Amino acid sequence: MIRLQHVSKSYGGRPALKDINLHVALGEFAFLVGPSGAGKSTMMRLLYREEVPTSGSVFIGGVNLNRLSPRQIPLLRRRLGIIFQDYKLLTRQTAFDNVAYILRALGVDEKDVRKRVTSALNVVNLEDKADAFPDELSGGEQQRVGIARAIVNGPPVLLADEPTGNLDPATSLEIVQLLSRISERGTTVLISTHDHTIVDAMRRRVIALKNGELFSDVDSGVYDMDLTAV
Amino acid sequence: MRQLRILARVVVETFLGIKRSGWSNWLVISILAIALTIFGSVLQLTMSLKNLVNMWGSQLVISAFLSDKYEPREVARDVSQYKEVRLVEVITKDVAWEDMKKTLNAASISNPLPNTLHVTVNRADQVEALAPKLKLLPAIEAVRYPMMVVKRINEFRHFIEIAGVVVTGALTAATLTVIGNTIHLVIQARQKEIEILSLMGVGHFYIKCPFVLQGAFYGAVAATLAMLVLLTMHMYVIQPYLSQELASIAPLFPKNWGYNILQTFTVMLVLGVAVGAGGGAWTSGRYIKI
Ligand SMILES: Nc1ncnc2c1ncn2[C@@H]1O[C@H](COP(=O)(O)OP(=O)(O)O)[C@@H](O)[C@H]1O
Ligand SMILES: [Mg+2]
Repeated sequence: MIRLQHVSKSYGGRPALKDINLHVALGEFAFLVGPSGAGKSTMMRLLYREEVPTSGSVFIGGVNLNRLSPRQIPLLRRRLGIIFQDYKLLTRQTAFDNVAYILRALGVDEKDVRKRVTSALNVVNLEDKADAFPDELSGGEQQRVGIARAIVNGPPVLLADEPTGNLDPATSLEIVQLLSRISERGTTVLISTHDHTIVDAMRRRVIALKNGELFSDVDSGVYDMDLTAV
Repeated sequence: MRQLRILARVVVETFLGIKRSGWSNWLVISILAIALTIFGSVLQLTMSLKNLVNMWGSQLVISAFLSDKYEPREVARDVSQYKEVRLVEVITKDVAWEDMKKTLNAASISNPLPNTLHVTVNRADQVEALAPKLKLLPAIEAVRYPMMVVKRINEFRHFIEIAGVVVTGALTAATLTVIGNTIHLVIQARQKEIEILSLMGVGHFYIKCPFVLQGAFYGAVAATLAMLVLLTMHMYVIQPYLSQELASIAPLFPKNWGYNILQTFTVMLVLGVAVGAGGGAWTSGRYIKI
């Protein structure tokens, strides 16, 4: 579902990613770990086509992102659910309207919007906060709105860049378990993090980056101590 | 159905944007309205003058003086072959002489007057084209027509047209700048939101369209305001005073010479909406990087 072939990315000559080869299969759940500055966010930005690689190719569902025209970028992003560390919610809109936005922009009729948003809010357990504005919600709740928004259009891939970076450990674990439950429905999930606790608790595939290089890739791993001892 | 719902959402987003622009809405609308008022006045004036020249011109007659060697009725028949000609009236030298004798009391001399044709054309701009052609006819010795009046009006009209284009152009440029700044402010205020929408996969059209519509809205409101100003001027200034004054100075002045105000409004509306939407499109294209 996600494939990187000899992907390198440099910023002004300084490499952020070096010759990465990677494959994440359909329905897989994987962590992307590494210390701050390792290149996790850079890889995520390549995956949702916010950036293009300096060399190499990125594929999502067989589509080479290098070949996407600007007009096709929105089409790609509608097939991805993207989750951010800072949630990126529309502050002037309620939780419901945040989740509903993309559906309305696509012209889905209001009855369907209601049904799909309610079901997405159900998945993240926020039905009763539908009418709250983001600043009336806790960090964990805001992130759950972010997740509901990411899944409302039923995307085959979820990308989460440090989704728990602003949350306390207990809430972090809840969020990751929620994402794990979503992946059980067949969604490919890639979570970048430098939070040992959640990685160790889940025992899932762990892809480790270090200084822009693929450092290790294990099937049911823990956060490698060598990584932190850089 | 789906397209309609998208359009309805875009309109809602547009009005949210307008609401957020606050007082600068009125700045944009006033400047655009001033530009359109000037443009509309110039348009109305030049079109009216054009009408005037046409209506008046068709009353203008080319006088053609004939050589005595030709039979005036035959010449009249030849002249009436020209497609520009609407009417030819023959005034024989005898008739003219009889007329003149009544006032001059010069009975003893022989008739010095030529036979004359009064040639009426269809449109004013044909006078100058036809007169030299008539003069080329061997039977016609001289032609005369009140060219100067028509020429003066046309010169005046051209001056107004050029001045109008220059002033309208300058004001349009100013308007574009103000529209650009206003919409740029809205875009800046919504920068984070636009980034989020883009990451969610909302299309470029959906994101940019509200800014174009916001500009078009300014254009439509400004055109309506400008039209109200023009109508007021027309009803309370031009109609009661100017028309009557003119009518008393120049009796020939046609009464109903106003150019159709609905056409002026249409042109102003189209121009206003085009300038507004153009400004919005340009600004959103320039400042929305997605
Ligand atoms: N837009 C950018 N311009 C310049 N350098 C960047 C940019 N984004 C990331 N980098 C650099 O690339 C490297 C990897 O950054 P990043 O992908 O954000 O790491 P991580 O998310 O793992 O903390 C860092 O050295 C960072 O300074
Ligand atoms: Mg990062």
